Amino acid sequence: MIELAPNHKYGLPIAVPVMPASGTFGYGEAYHDLVDLSLLGAIVTNPVSLRPRRAAHGQRIGVRADHFVVHTGWPSPGLHRVIREAGPVWRRLPVPVIVHLLAARPVDVGRAAAHLSGVRGVRGLELGLTEDLSFAEARDLLAAAAEEGDLPVIVKVPFSRVDDLAPRLAQAGADAITLMSPPRAVLPVAGGEAGGQVARFMRGRLYGVALFPLLLNALSRWAGKLGVPVIACGGIASPEDALACLTLGAAVVQIDALLWRVPWLLNSVARALVQSQPQPDTEQDDVSADQGAMEANL
Amino acid sequence: MARRQTATLRTLRPVPPVWEIRLDLEYAPGAGSYVLADLGGPVREPLFPSVVDDTGFCTIVPRGHAVTRYLPGTPIDVIGPLGQGFRLSAAGYVPDRLLLIAEVDELPWLQPLYQAAPSVALVVEATTRGRLPPPARFPPTLELTLVTRDGSTGYLGPLESDGPTPVGIECALPRVRELVAWAECICIAGDMARYPALARLVQEVRFRPQTDFAQALVRVPMPCGVGVCDICRVTTRHGERRACVDGPVFDLMDFLE
Repeated sequence: MIELAPNHKYGLPIAVPVMPASGTFGYGEAYHDLVDLSLLGAIVTNPVSLRPRRAAHGQRIGVRADHFVVHTGWPSPGLHRVIREAGPVWRRLPVPVIVHLLAARPVDVGRAAAHLSGVRGVRGLELGLTEDLSFAEARDLLAAAAEEGDLPVIVKVPFSRVDDLAPRLAQAGADAITLMSPPRAVLPVAGGEAGGQVARFMRGRLYGVALFPLLLNALSRWAGKLGVPVIACGGIASPEDALACLTLGAAVVQIDALLWRVPWLLNSVARALVQSQPQPDTEQDDVSADQGAMEANL
Repeated sequence: MARRQTATLRTLRPVPPVWEIRLDLEYAPGAGSYVLADLGGPVREPLFPSVVDDTGFCTIVPRGHAVTRYLPGTPIDVIGPLGQGFRLSAAGYVPDRLLLIAEVDELPWLQPLYQAAPSVALVVEATTRGRLPPPARFPPTLELTLVTRDGSTGYLGPLESDGPTPVGIECALPRVRELVAWAECICIAGDMARYPALARLVQEVRFRPQTDFAQALVRVPMPCGVGVCDICRVTTRHGERRACVDGPVFDLMDFLE
């Protein structure tokens, strides 16, 4: 078992170091025809806000070469409806559920954490931070989630704020850190009938395999130095990518929107990681050796 | 049920200005539903059927579409059929009189319904005569009504508008009203922005139509196909709905404002 919250009173043990990233897998069952959920370590839900949120207007996806930008506005039916509709699903899922909370105000986060603490199947929270939060604001949100509820709190750190927030939030009491939320990006959107002339732009979250080297860079800088488990998220597109993240010190990997194209990637990564797990008596030495080699190369 | 299948690209045929693609597939999508095809890009592409038969389906794609780079015989990974397509027997019986309304670019998605009822009327709207397919391309059993925005042929559009009409040209609206009154079921494929106006038109003629009397296809990007990505959310009078699983065919009255 992998312990994702070693400093928490209940802990968050998971069997397999693979899970879907927030916003890519719904609330648990949408992919049940295509993904064997029992092979995963946990499910991370779509972002949930205390109150309902509507979807963003305008274009919501822009695709270019091997990457794409998504702007949905993080619509959410609101916490109570999510619990009402997804709660029965969570109870019967074969793996723990981690609810991703949209960080708004500390009071909202606290209330949501308190509500979720009593929901069967929910074993942890992941707090999604926006890029514009100061450390003090992020710390207050984390404190509200930790104090009002009794679930382990993972903090998902924005790409552009990893160096600034990850170490300080780990010190402030985060049970684990997810590196990282997708970077914000702008894509030109060809519009009108003018034959592909750039008419406007769209801004949103960037997904694609090119995020993977950026993720490895963040892991090489911070995994193993934060004092809490690190979850790797960003552009992981194969079992080899996932192994590289674990080699650099990540405890778990999250597969992001790339799984929309290949949902069963979750299972193939899970199988590969389970098969590649070294024997218990040599595990520590092998990981240290691999990590040493990677660090030497870096 | 989201099913993974392997389709085989059978033929690619240029039908200017688009391409017609034929895919062999065990479980083909019905009219208005779709499959998500992995064509090498970072997200899957929805493919809607323009022809459906026992061995697969045809679809229409624009010039330069990713699928046109493949050779016949290539296997293509697809997920589907997905979504709620057109539901002709929603009222518990197959309608005798079916009305199809389409903007010309969306016409292929109604093509599988050309012979779905004993009497089928089709209203096609285009900006101008040159954008309309030649009438010979339609089966002779269809009762065809052509509408152009510039009045270059057929009735003058837009079909939901009752603005002033130049002398010698007939406005489309009275004809469309007549057909709406005649029909037992209506299937529409067009620009979603026009659906509220079309819903008002249907309401004016039929007062309080039963659920799914008029159905409208919403074509928006649907990268996941199972309702998790929130990219395909559309606003209806019942709140936001996901086109990929709750649609892409909705009750037209859901768009009534």
